Amino acid sequence: MTEVRPKVLVVDDEPQIRKFLRLGLESHGYAVLEAATADAALRGAVAAQPDLVVLDLGLPDREGLEVLAALREWSRVPVLVLSVRDREDEKVRAFDSGADDYVVKPFGMAELLARIKAALRRRVEAEAPMPVFRVGGLEVDLVRRMVRVNEAEVRLSPKQYRLLQILVANAGKVVTHRQLLNDIWGAVHRDDVQYLRVFVRKLRARIEADPARPRYLLTELGVGYRLRTPDQLASSS
Amino acid sequence: MRLLPYLKSALAVAVVGSAAYLLTLLVPLPHVSPLFLAAVVMSAAFWGLGPSLLAAVLSVAGGSYFFYSPIYSFRVANPQDLADLAVFVLAAAVTSRLAAGVRAQALDAKRRQAIIGGLYTFSERLAASASAAEVNASILEHLAPVLGQPIHLLLPESGRLVVAASHGGAEPAPAELLAAAGRVVAGSEATLAGWRVDPLSTAQGLVGVVAARQPKDGVALPIDADYARALLGQAAIAIERVRLAREIADARVKAQGEALREALINSVSHELQTPLAAILGSATALETLGDRGDPHARRELATTIREEAERLGSYIGNVLDLTRIRSGQIAPRLELVELSDIIDAALRRKEKALAGHVLRVDLPADLPMLRLDLFLMEHAVANVLDNAAKYSPAGSQVTIAAALQDGAVVLDVTDSGSGIRAADRERVFDAFYRGEAQHGSPAAGTGLGLAICRAFVEANGGSATVLDAGHERGATVRLRLPVRTGADAAEPASDD
Repeated sequence: MTEVRPKVLVVDDEPQIRKFLRLGLESHGYAVLEAATADAALRGAVAAQPDLVVLDLGLPDREGLEVLAALREWSRVPVLVLSVRDREDEKVRAFDSGADDYVVKPFGMAELLARIKAALRRRVEAEAPMPVFRVGGLEVDLVRRMVRVNEAEVRLSPKQYRLLQILVANAGKVVTHRQLLNDIWGAVHRDDVQYLRVFVRKLRARIEADPARPRYLLTELGVGYRLRTPDQLASSS
Repeated sequence: MRLLPYLKSALAVAVVGSAAYLLTLLVPLPHVSPLFLAAVVMSAAFWGLGPSLLAAVLSVAGGSYFFYSPIYSFRVANPQDLADLAVFVLAAAVTSRLAAGVRAQALDAKRRQAIIGGLYTFSERLAASASAAEVNASILEHLAPVLGQPIHLLLPESGRLVVAASHGGAEPAPAELLAAAGRVVAGSEATLAGWRVDPLSTAQGLVGVVAARQPKDGVALPIDADYARALLGQAAIAIERVRLAREIADARVKAQGEALREALINSVSHELQTPLAAILGSATALETLGDRGDPHARRELATTIREEAERLGSYIGNVLDLTRIRSGQIAPRLELVELSDIIDAALRRKEKALAGHVLRVDLPADLPMLRLDLFLMEHAVANVLDNAAKYSPAGSQVTIAAALQDGAVVLDVTDSGSGIRAADRERVFDAFYRGEAQHGSPAAGTGLGLAICRAFVEANGGSATVLDAGHERGATVRLRLPVRTGADAAEPASDD
């Protein structure tokens, strides 16, 4: 073995889906482990210590979200959820249970590969955080607590900065309304989504050129917010 | 009470007799019988046959006693007087019969008039009642004073009788009543102590049963049988009318469902088969290529498979949306949202479709928050954008503009295509209707996009229309979304 191939645990009860995921992932340099049931998934996660888990929510023996919850009790491995369900409440539940990303079936291999790459990179960055986050013309200096847009310094209120800070720490990933509210205002206000909307509106007015068509701070409709990474920004335009 | 008319006619005879007696003191009268005849006729006209016969008897007695010699004796000596009395009796009998007949007719006419009046008000009330519940209530309200109360209306529901409505007292219908009503339905006489049970039938058959409690003292209400029968007949017709109306409505919904299903099958056979054929063909071609094919050909085939699968996917998505609408599964979950978020999400979703167009987004910064279902609205807007991209030439402009207008936010999506003819401005919202794309050929698509859009917008309390932009000036689809104020200032929890 000359190189370390990232290990991906694919959990799906459909053999056809597992097959194309294996072919697609292996040809892009990943080592693939498969599990068809929730039990096999949990055993596999303990035994093989994968670098990432691709988890289908519709498993025959248990709910996929239960697997996620069980996994989160001892592991911070990135989990990418696959589901045919595309309503926001499903996504919110997955993210609140600790999912790192949510991909609606059917999906293309290219999209999945991009998401897997982003999730693995986030993990590396989380272990060695960069002092300065940059995306497009937005620059957040986490050490000096300074925000610049197109080289010009922008003044934010402490709560606005906190909001941005959380999004930077999770850059590229959806942070749910509940997670943000909980972090910024505390558990009492975690259902006051309205607070958050007003706040995001104000924050966007400072950092976005056109707040109605944001480029950095995106709304994930009904789920939460996401700060784009440079990669995501590049692939969008 | 029934004695009173007899007393009255006796009194009339007494009055006439006294008057005749006084008259004979002044003028000698050859015959007093015509005077008595007046009393008899009067009794017959006002009080009926019985009292008039009494008047005749009293007249004969009084006449013979007071007027015919020997006076103060019932004996009549003079044969001429005897003949006079005999003629009187005959005349009295005939006129009594006639006058009493006229009276009976007058009474009957009056009674009929009352019945017709009652029936008229009844039918007027029934005609004004639209819903089944209203009709049932009107029927019982009207029948209660005639038949007795509490009164219950029993109607068949899924094969058995149930109490559909009650009036005049909280006393529930006893179980025996249902059994008795069941026997009425079965066609046999049903009697239940203390209750009057009537079938409600029309020419089509039995539609229900009415049961009225009779007074406890055992004295039945004075019921005019004809009136009761007419009321029951009308009630039966009204109930049947409501039932038929409901059946027609059900049948219409079913017919619409069937028309939709047929259109769906027609569309499915084409829209599903075409991409499926391409996918299957490309995949098998890829298989047979083995290792021989050149990489370019392989890539082409793979691209075809992906594109056709995407087309299939969007079609299935549309059909799922449509069936969701038809089965009434689109109860919107309203929450306060910003229109810009919805438009942004829709634009991101349709990024690929709109890639060849120039986008202009014109949203005022001060638009009010709207109370909408995110999922439905994002779908609706995305469908309109998709449509704009499909029906306008590549490289042309698509404009998205919003403004506050008469208490609503209007969102206009305008393309630079050939526009929509006035005659088609409503039809574009029909399921499976497809406009002509650029220059004549039908556009690729399912013909479901705008139908789904309209249904979703309407579920959110808004409306979707096509504006008259003028010939060859492109089409504008306008979504009108209500701004709800007041209690909406506070946002309810939207997560779980």
